[in-house]
Amino acid sequence: MFFKSSNKDINAEECDATGDATRLYCLAHKKIFLLFFIISCSLSVKAQHTITITFKNKVGDKTLNTDSIYTNQFDETFKVRNCRYYISNIVFIDSINKKTQVYNDEYFLIDEKDEVSKKITLNTSIQQITGIEFLLGVDSIKNVSGVQTGSLDPAKGMFWTWNTGYVMAKLEGTSPAANTPAHAFSYHIGGYKTGEDAARKIKLTLPGALAVNENKKIIVTADILKWFTGMHDIKITDAAFCHEPGKLAMQFADNYANMFNVEIAQ
Amino acid sequence: MKICKTICFIVCVFASAISWVNIQQASTHSLKFIVPKGWPQPVYDFKNNPLTEEGFQLGRKLFYDGCLSKDGNFSCAGCHQQFAAFATYDHSLSHGHDNNFTKRNAPPLFNLAWQKEFMWDGGINHLDAQPLAPITDSNEMAENIDNVLKKLKADTAYKRMFKAAFGDATINTQRMTKALSQFVVMMVSSNSKYDRVMRGEDSFNLPQRLGYAIFKKKCAACHAEPMFTDYSYRNAGLPLDSFLYDHGRMRITRNSADSLKFKVPSLRNAQQTFPYGHDGRFYSLMEVFNFYRNDLVQGPLTDSVLMHGMPLSNYEIGQLTAFIYTLTDSAFLNDKRFAAPGYESRMPVPAKDMHRIK
Repeated sequence: MFFKSSNKDINAEECDATGDATRLYCLAHKKIFLLFFIISCSLSVKAQHTITITFKNKVGDKTLNTDSIYTNQFDETFKVRNCRYYISNIVFIDSINKKTQVYNDEYFLIDEKDEVSKKITLNTSIQQITGIEFLLGVDSIKNVSGVQTGSLDPAKGMFWTWNTGYVMAKLEGTSPAANTPAHAFSYHIGGYKTGEDAARKIKLTLPGALAVNENKKIIVTADILKWFTGMHDIKITDAAFCHEPGKLAMQFADNYANMFNVEIAQ
Repeated sequence: MKICKTICFIVCVFASAISWVNIQQASTHSLKFIVPKGWPQPVYDFKNNPLTEEGFQLGRKLFYDGCLSKDGNFSCAGCHQQFAAFATYDHSLSHGHDNNFTKRNAPPLFNLAWQKEFMWDGGINHLDAQPLAPITDSNEMAENIDNVLKKLKADTAYKRMFKAAFGDATINTQRMTKALSQFVVMMVSSNSKYDRVMRGEDSFNLPQRLGYAIFKKKCAACHAEPMFTDYSYRNAGLPLDSFLYDHGRMRITRNSADSLKFKVPSLRNAQQTFPYGHDGRFYSLMEVFNFYRNDLVQGPLTDSVLMHGMPLSNYEIGQLTAFIYTLTDSAFLNDKRFAAPGYESRMPVPAKDMHRIK
């Protein structure tokens, strides 16, 4: 120990023991407080409900399966091995009463391979919903603020280490049209700087107003085919890889910004 | 009656909330980051990562631990050696996993709190995110982050140290990188002879003084005091290496105007950080000077301050060398705080002290 602040050698075991006792005491207090708080909240605040948003990936009108073969608009057949994207900054909109509920600073990684990740459950006090808004991707602040935790943990594999920034959306698979080893195509779409911001604000209107008088479910579908066309035509044979921010990434982002649809679950 | 209830409610809330106030017991020992006199304010956000002795020691252990690499052979310190001011001593390129070479010369580590962007091309925008690049690069440590965390979680010493530094034993990427930042951000090199002279505690000899005057005229436009770099990216007229094919900053910005631009390196401790250049192509200061006066490529993209070359006489090179050697900070190079953990107890007792200790 070389610092003045700790010139005596600390006995780690001893330190832990006293720390545990204090923590247990505080924990007990915390529990009492929480219990009290919840009771008082439930008495004084109007009832909260949950809304579950389920993401369903599709290819055209078919459900996405990682072992099926699909055909895109350019008659290129392909298989999808991996499909992941970030959903953040969700907003519930009630356009009739001009109310919104914003979920800032909440980030969700939707992963085709992980069923749990495809369900987002949010508590709401909003009375009805006519639309939903969210960011497809991660806002620039979180791209410049060092290392994050939870779904934004770089260990999730959605983070470029050599050119700092999040991969907002990832689509990987194989296609005979891809002129690459093993006919692989791989699209890692990211970039947060001005002019190459690949995050897209998505605004969806529900088919009708949804009264939130009990726990409700809505379904957001994402059509993978939209990656290849819409604003820009992108053929797998011309561009099988996209691994950096820039023009191609922006074109993909423009395209997939239109891949979502929303419906109310029955 | 209703007022009574409300008052009772508020009192109860306050009473039970007290547990929250008292919960932060001072179990860590905070470390002070001292900004040398006359230096600019650091850019690192210390509020987001308060320095503690415990965090620093955890970072130190991580920095020297080979388990951050795939085969256990490559710690951060493998390429960032203290006696070379935390660059790789006498290596143009460093060694990585599976007999690979790195693509660039390992930069020295010091005064990182003042640095906004990292790597020769500035691709990394935060000190905390920096270690993830060498850990995951296949020709460096070649490991994936999940595996590193798995190894750390299996180690009881780390469990204890993470708990001591962060309050509980959770081990995640953020905590690992924050601890590493706490260690490297403390590496401040500000006690060279140059610094002592600036503080009025010492004086230059004649060649050093003359060299300083030449330096201010010919070098300080890019190697600005007191950091001895302005952290800009410049094309210094180094021709493209046809094997490495490294276009520098252009890889990050994809702007052809940034072709062959690299970050201006600090000249502090330059005596120890040879070879020089982004790919370590210059093995001595003399080679650097000879390049500037004879071989500099004066192309359309060469930096404007070098557009007309850099004439240097033998006399000037001699004085400049004398001045650059005053930037060697031997206190920093020998600072035991930054040596491997346990370094103190492993060192043999110096001969002159042997009798005194008994």
